[in-house]
Amino acid sequence: MDMECDLLVIGGGMAGLVAGTLAAEAGLSTILLRKGQSATAYSSGAIDIIGYLPDASEPFSTPEEGLAAIAGLYPLHPYSIIGYVDGIKPEDVVDEIVGRTRDTITWLKEKLKDTIAPLSGDFKSNIFPITILGTTKPTCLVQKTMYSEDLQTREDSVLLFTGFSGNADFNPSVAAKTYLEDRIAIGEPPRKVGHCTLRVSPFGKPYNVSSVEIARHLDHERSIEDLATQLKPQVEQLGATHVAVPPVLGIKTAMDNKKKLEDQIGAEVFEMLGFPPSVPGLRLQLALEEMYRTNGGKMLVGHEATSYIKTEGRITKVSAKAPRREMNIEAKAFILSTGKYIGGGLSGDENGIRETVFGLMTVTDAYHSAGEIIPSRYTNRIAISPEGHPINSCGLTLDPHFRPINEDGVEWASNLYSAGAVLAGYDYSIEKSGLGVAAVSGFSAAKHAIDFIKEVA
Amino acid sequence: MCMSDSEFDVVVIGGGSTGTAVARDCAMRGFRTLLLERDDIASATVGTCAGMISSGLKYRSEPDIMKMCSTEVVHLNRIARHIIMKNPILTPFRDLSDVGSDMEYVESYSEHAEERDVPEMMFLTPEATIAIEPLLHPDVVFSVYYEEFFIDPFRLCLLQALDAKRHGAEIKTYCEVIGFETVNDVIQGVVFYNRITGTTEKIGAKIVVNAAGPWAPKIAGFSGAELELRLNKGAHIILDRRVVNVGISVKALDGRYIYLFPHENTTLLGTTALDTWEDPDSLVASFDEIEYLMRSIETYIPSIRDARIIRTMAGVRPLVADWKVPEGKVTRGYQVIDHENGLISFTGGKLVMCRHMAEAVTDIVSKKLGNDSACTTHEKPLPGNEADVDVEALSAEYGVSMHALERMRARRGTEMTKILELTKDHPEWKTTICTCEPIIEAEIRYAIREEFPQTLNDLRRRLRLGTGPCQGTFCTYKAASILSEELDLQGDDFLVDILDFRAERWKGIRPSMRGEQLAQEELAQGMYSCVGNLDQSDVDYDLKPWEEGV
Amino acid sequence: MNEDEAFEYVKNTLRKEKITPYHSHELEVVKSVERCINCGLCISHCPVVAAVGVDRFSGPRSIAVELSRSPPEFWSTADVVYLCTGCGTCREVCPKNVDIPEVVNLIRARIFEHRPDLVPKSLHVLREVLTEYYLAFEPWEDKEEKNESRDMRLERLGLPFVQDKILDKAEVLLYPGCQAEERAQEVREAAKVILDHFDVDYTLLDDMSCCGLPSRLMGDHETERVLAKQLKEKVKKLGIKTVVTTCAGCTSSLSDISYRNEWGVPAVHILEFLAEEIGLEKIDSATKGSTEFSDVHVTVHDPCHLIRHTSRQITDFALDILRQLPGVKVTESEANDSCCGGGGLVSYHSDDVAKAVVKENMEAIQKTSADRLVTPCPLCTAQIESNLFKTGSSVEVDDLTVFIAQRLPKKR
Repeated sequence: MDMECDLLVIGGGMAGLVAGTLAAEAGLSTILLRKGQSATAYSSGAIDIIGYLPDASEPFSTPEEGLAAIAGLYPLHPYSIIGYVDGIKPEDVVDEIVGRTRDTITWLKEKLKDTIAPLSGDFKSNIFPITILGTTKPTCLVQKTMYSEDLQTREDSVLLFTGFSGNADFNPSVAAKTYLEDRIAIGEPPRKVGHCTLRVSPFGKPYNVSSVEIARHLDHERSIEDLATQLKPQVEQLGATHVAVPPVLGIKTAMDNKKKLEDQIGAEVFEMLGFPPSVPGLRLQLALEEMYRTNGGKMLVGHEATSYIKTEGRITKVSAKAPRREMNIEAKAFILSTGKYIGGGLSGDENGIRETVFGLMTVTDAYHSAGEIIPSRYTNRIAISPEGHPINSCGLTLDPHFRPINEDGVEWASNLYSAGAVLAGYDYSIEKSGLGVAAVSGFSAAKHAIDFIKEVA
Repeated sequence: MCMSDSEFDVVVIGGGSTGTAVARDCAMRGFRTLLLERDDIASATVGTCAGMISSGLKYRSEPDIMKMCSTEVVHLNRIARHIIMKNPILTPFRDLSDVGSDMEYVESYSEHAEERDVPEMMFLTPEATIAIEPLLHPDVVFSVYYEEFFIDPFRLCLLQALDAKRHGAEIKTYCEVIGFETVNDVIQGVVFYNRITGTTEKIGAKIVVNAAGPWAPKIAGFSGAELELRLNKGAHIILDRRVVNVGISVKALDGRYIYLFPHENTTLLGTTALDTWEDPDSLVASFDEIEYLMRSIETYIPSIRDARIIRTMAGVRPLVADWKVPEGKVTRGYQVIDHENGLISFTGGKLVMCRHMAEAVTDIVSKKLGNDSACTTHEKPLPGNEADVDVEALSAEYGVSMHALERMRARRGTEMTKILELTKDHPEWKTTICTCEPIIEAEIRYAIREEFPQTLNDLRRRLRLGTGPCQGTFCTYKAASILSEELDLQGDDFLVDILDFRAERWKGIRPSMRGEQLAQEELAQGMYSCVGNLDQSDVDYDLKPWEEGV
Repeated sequence: MNEDEAFEYVKNTLRKEKITPYHSHELEVVKSVERCINCGLCISHCPVVAAVGVDRFSGPRSIAVELSRSPPEFWSTADVVYLCTGCGTCREVCPKNVDIPEVVNLIRARIFEHRPDLVPKSLHVLREVLTEYYLAFEPWEDKEEKNESRDMRLERLGLPFVQDKILDKAEVLLYPGCQAEERAQEVREAAKVILDHFDVDYTLLDDMSCCGLPSRLMGDHETERVLAKQLKEKVKKLGIKTVVTTCAGCTSSLSDISYRNEWGVPAVHILEFLAEEIGLEKIDSATKGSTEFSDVHVTVHDPCHLIRHTSRQITDFALDILRQLPGVKVTESEANDSCCGGGGLVSYHSDDVAKAVVKENMEAIQKTSADRLVTPCPLCTAQIESNLFKTGSSVEVDDLTVFIAQRLPKKR
């Protein structure tokens, strides 16, 4: 059965859910189509804003510093688009970008406050949480369960890395070694670390214990107490002030579990950043969906946008396909937030890179057409380097209203906006800017879409 | 220089299929044997082949070679059947004029079919052809059917090396020969650089066998001898899963034959043939090679581009130096060259002949050293092939999934019970580490302890670790942790191992990158760069040969 | 050897090598599975993994990147692949929409063909029933007893009895499905009450036969084809315009086969028929006057075959209709869309797994403090009802079709 709404959001990751929430909050009837989950659901639980400039080796100590550098050097970066405001003075551009980013972050923190993924950290500075590899990375916000107050500043801190038997997602002894070597090299605390392996067997077997199983198990009553009992002697033996656990402290009760553990063992507990399928990613996805629904947004899960009708420069309808049904959705404006290659917003083969829903123009990192490029030629020989791979900066390019533009440099449709990883001009893996760009561009696209809808109405 | 007083009867240079076969034969005949490999077992030519132990079909102009190939297939099926699988193969034709004189091979193939326990070559109607392989072009007018055997080339080399070791040979990987000690131009000893310890060592040797493949001329040169090869590059495309039901061999755009073979849980599309003078270590598949293969197979399987390409691989064939003929016309026989200075070199040869080549050279060694024990390498089973394995029973006994055990069986045969026994003391080692293959932790620990790997790449060759569609995206970290623990590596070395493995996987992924491999790589970057921050790591990472340059 | 002998020889070799060439429709499934990037999101959401752990059921990702890659080894997946309930959660959360439920069927079909000894015995028993009676359940031996059972059910539920209508020609075919035909007869009766009430020109089949879903789920392609062909012939003969069913599994299965076998007739669930053809206003006015029932607090279970195999929009129809029924208060459960464990024929051979899967629903249902659970599928109804009963819960369970029919005024 066909549907109607003010705003149709296509894509249900960070960008789409932020945009949808903002629209719903503004009183617009909003529908969000989601064909599957996206890169947001895999994320480590950290909200990066900007960690590095491409190919740079020093991290930014504050997001503000990073945004200013981006605005100066990368005028078509999604962050920089924010600065294109009619009549703005050149000296105000950075303030505009910083201001919008700060607003988004403040808003997001507030919105997630009472969900299962509340955030810690603030816009003032980048933080350097520990990853399961034993490395650290710059980010801006982490989920509260992942935050450590003073591990890396307190002179006498002693850190215990804790893993779980039969859970290959994290190896505490290797992380401990790697992390300690790094701390010794830079001469900062903690100066002593240890590691231990605990046993949690949700299904009675000490092998093939997945992270999500542990998290779900810890959501059950009493299980966190059992864990504390195992952990306490290890903490005492080492004299640990802090305990690093892989990100498994629970899905619904992670915050409570952190507190309970800390109370019982007398040391600060935090989750490290981990690899997908990650529990914090799951928490974040669920929390964002809850945020969207609570604000009145409607989700159509399991529906893929397959075609559209465009008349007089405007999209009027999008067809959505479920496994065995199809329908049309009419809307006044549309936001495309379908992600990159993982999310499926972009696809590529030896003939070029395509946007998958509307067939919009795609561009490379240098803003040349990506419609006919050979992907391998937009990669570096070195697999993992601060240069990243240009192919990961391909995507859509925008007008100042966050509308994708066509070959003529003007908006492709007057009522189509776009946000998130489908955008060109940034490589989130090397910049450490993924969820930040997603949230801020989602926020910005929604603001423009809301204005448009209100004007039309 | 670290001097060593060890003295060997035979030093074999090269840990490929031939070198390991020679080491095995020499050790089994009682010679004090040392094998030196500059990298890891099966890390060059043999590691980039399709694993076909060919009946010699393509070499019909050389009847002796076809006969030898056929006999060797029989031997390999006897000694290594646990790592061999049979592929039914179709050669479809869309145009009768393509057939031409090619039909001679039907007869020569069929001549030896019986001993290999395969049928004579057969003709199939278009209907039957399409029923067997619906992906084929509907215009096929007929097809030829035959059967070939395929071996896991990595395991073959490793098992030969392990068997040599069990017969008293010493196997040293990461030891690169840099010269010989000679007296009156006769080799007395071998000088090598040990890349693990970072020292130069020397050992005494009565006879040196040069099985260094593409590097054989370089080795011969160290002794003052000259040796010429015709190096020829071959590239493969590797597709995820078995996309065809049977092997497909077709006439390529240039009239050569190329093939699409189901291999383990992938499909191989190959191969190209280009004379090369490049450094074999820096070779990767080129855009033209990939297109040549795709366009050629596309004429028979129009939908092939829908299949997921997971990577490419490129290697070098060390052919006999026949020039001014196309690659296909160069003899696939091998030559044994006695430089009369204590060094014996190989040129040419095929995977299927490796045991035969070893036998031939070991016969010469025996003669020179006055030993008359007979060759038994074609009779004695390689480790793991001693008996059948009941996967269902083992699964019930050890509580590991049948599929994991079936895959383990295909790598190890009877040896797998040793691995499963480890899980009695360490049940946590039943945990799956590589989800594509799959591989459980116990097998990784066992391989590290028993099969002398130094890096994740070495583990890959032993276990097929990281060879599935995700190309190690997920197992790299997990396996690196285990390796690090077992070898007690420093934190930096652990990170270097991850970077090394990603680099090696990337080498093959990059040239053919398209489709879901873009998403796969976005994910890998998301994990190792975005979360792990390894792009910013300050560890001492040495650029690989293929990473150097602009 | 001539060409025919050669073909026979090759077929025999393929059988020995356990290779069954993919059919053209299966190639789409294989192509879909190739899209898997191993991310593991599905594992975090799979209800079977959640219920029994990834060691016992290695999950959808394992099926995509491991178990489905090499046909000659499909037999060795028999300890895992029969535990999938086919709920489709994996496909729905997957960024690549990898078609795991279908590849599971494909693998099961290969095991069925090459290693029938590894197919759970109870599925062979089910197969015998299907091939003998063309129904998923052994039919009642005594027609009288069957009617008595029906009448008892109708009486308990306060539903009127409407005579079966079997016409040569009608607009709508009411297809109750095996469960409602042979077991949950009240659902079949309730559908008749509803259609009758709204004066729909409908007919039943004079000879009800299974849609083939159970055969498909066990990998018995042959029986699946026979059943689908039978049904097509029956539908074609009737010349109807729409097939309406009350079963979630039949909805997705009929939608699928009607499309694949070119029936030219859509198949819909009765909820869709109510929302789209009858219209909410008509239902509203029809039920407004109904005072026979006291207020009831319900929660809803969404059948996988409706929401994940057909369309999530059908849930909206259910809620829209429920919310306008007088005296009905709806509270959504936290696990409203979580598989009841009744799918994929899992309960036939691994009832402990099916039970473990439904446990999450049980807890969530209790939490809503609703006094009744309604669900638009007789199979989910049976699965949830028996498990609630065993836990001593006071929550009653009704098929949604019955629940709606009950609230229609009696026709005179």
